[in-house]
Amino acid sequence: MKKLSLKIRLILSFILIATTVFCVAGVFAWKETTEKADEFFDTYQMILARQLAGANWDTITPEQQQMTNKLLDDIHSADDEDEAIGFAVFRTDGQMIFNDGENGRDFTYQPVPKSFVSQTVDDEEWRIIWIPAVDSNYMIAVGQEKEYRADIAWEMMEEFTLPWLIGIGMMLLLMIIIIGYEFHPIHRLARGLEKRKEGDLSALSEERIPTEILPLIRAMNDLLAKVRDTLERERGFIADSAHELRTPLTALKVQLEVLQLMQDDEKARTEGLKKLAQGIDRATRLVEQLLALSRAESGVLADKDTRISWEQIVQEIVADYQIKAEAKQMNLRVQSDNSGPFTYGNPVLAGTVVRNLTDNAVRYGQAGADIVITLKNGELRVLTKQTQVSEDVLTRLGQRFYRPAGQKQKGSGLGLSIVARIVHLYGGKLTFQNTDEGFLVSICPSEKGVY
Amino acid sequence: MRVLLIEDDSLIGDGLKTGLEKLGFSVDWFENGIDGKEALFQMPYDAVVLDLGLPGIDGMSILKDWRGQGRNEPVLILTARGDVDHRIAGLNEGADDYLPKPFSLLEVQARLNALIRRNNGKPAPELKANGVSFNPQTREVFFNGEKVILSPKEITVLELLLMNKNRVLSRETIENKIYTWGEEVQSNAVEVHIHHLRKKLGKEMIKTISKIGYMLEEK
Repeated sequence: MKKLSLKIRLILSFILIATTVFCVAGVFAWKETTEKADEFFDTYQMILARQLAGANWDTITPEQQQMTNKLLDDIHSADDEDEAIGFAVFRTDGQMIFNDGENGRDFTYQPVPKSFVSQTVDDEEWRIIWIPAVDSNYMIAVGQEKEYRADIAWEMMEEFTLPWLIGIGMMLLLMIIIIGYEFHPIHRLARGLEKRKEGDLSALSEERIPTEILPLIRAMNDLLAKVRDTLERERGFIADSAHELRTPLTALKVQLEVLQLMQDDEKARTEGLKKLAQGIDRATRLVEQLLALSRAESGVLADKDTRISWEQIVQEIVADYQIKAEAKQMNLRVQSDNSGPFTYGNPVLAGTVVRNLTDNAVRYGQAGADIVITLKNGELRVLTKQTQVSEDVLTRLGQRFYRPAGQKQKGSGLGLSIVARIVHLYGGKLTFQNTDEGFLVSICPSEKGVY
Repeated sequence: MRVLLIEDDSLIGDGLKTGLEKLGFSVDWFENGIDGKEALFQMPYDAVVLDLGLPGIDGMSILKDWRGQGRNEPVLILTARGDVDHRIAGLNEGADDYLPKPFSLLEVQARLNALIRRNNGKPAPELKANGVSFNPQTREVFFNGEKVILSPKEITVLELLLMNKNRVLSRETIENKIYTWGEEVQSNAVEVHIHHLRKKLGKEMIKTISKIGYMLEEK
């Protein structure tokens, strides 16, 4: 039963139920019919017996017996119906004096007055009633073959069970057809899924799908859509990464060739090696950023159990950037109430957010500008004073590999897109804006306040 | 041969400039497209190396602009995009050749040489005249079958004269072709190079056309 399809199981169950119901009903019907038949024939036998009991048997002669035989023969030839009924009249000493000329001839004298008994006549089971005649000198026996009664009962059964049988048969047939019809969309779905080509992530058709399994199909379609999105993102990511890696690789290749050409020039060689090291550093940074972005994209590190200590993270990162900021006469300040855009999450990702924003502020901020990092009411703000970003650039910030025109600072163009991705992962909102004070990046918690 | 290089990436730009100069080209390198675009109108360049992925103004519109204004210097485009559509678009906008990143310095050299040769109507890779032969790729000079050792600037002057044989080149033209902006040039630099070339290849090789310049006449 385990491996059979639901359709076959339903059909088999219906057949089983119908058959059982039919059999049980049949047994009851058989019992009822035989009882009714017995009642009917018993009454008939009784009436006949009474009539015979009222007759005058003293004057009966063998001639009369012969006449009766002849009469019965005529009746028999006119009507084939043999009701298998017979009677015999006995004297109380057991001598048969008259019979119906056929079945009654074989009756033997075994009187059990006024009740129906089963007796064997000519190797057949008969139901016989014995009653004494009115004048008590004779015993009347009226009997009927039991098999005949059974035949009649069976015929009656047949007559009224046949429509039933046809009805049940038709019902089963219709059920099978309906089940087949109703299961067709599911089969079509299964066949479609089997035949699907690798990588085909298109949605499943909801056409004619029963409401019971519609939620399942919708859930599957949602899942397919998610997988599709992820896959597309991954593909885009790989394509972009490969594309972006070409530039640092070209730099490395060209610088290496220059180095080979400068074999005889010690000074140029030293210079070339320095450039090569720079190129390797840049490629390494790009790969690290790509990895960070990939992690943020996949969301694997988005655990929500660890409580994040925003102030500690910010202080550590600010300490890291102090020297770089001083080199540009910048002042890094922190204002904090130790709340952040998400309370629980991965500290590494939270650190990446703060680091990338601080790095951008120090790198691209106006020399001599103050940088204020604020943690307040669950909001993280990085304000770079005296710095403005053009509207055109503002709309494209956060796009992967976007680097504004005329940029002298080295960068991968990934930092903000990583921040955007992480913020999105935790359901927050990332905004860039120019204010009177300077360029402001803020991260607000999600409206739902889930994290 | 003087080449205009427009490349925003500092490491690639620096590598190409240093490498190509070592290989005998005079290279003017611009990191931004706007200055680079203007530079072509200022100097007689033999070829241009143009990166398509420039910030601000992109290489494709620079190219379109040049061709629109009738500039026909051979242009080699560099592109980080490997897709065919991008390359076709570049060629259709008037580029003469393209190189997808990552490329090799020697390939840039070879392609530039081929572009310059074709532009001067000289499809054969070697330049020859009066028993002197010069291979722009290996930058080797042979005179009557013997290898001659020349300084990079001398080779460049010889290359220029061979490329323009039977034509008179002014001192200023030669100077412009072999020195880049920012390079210190002594007033008699060209005379000095010609003098050295004559010493190594014979006095008859390069003619002085008084008050006009120099010519390599094929006999």
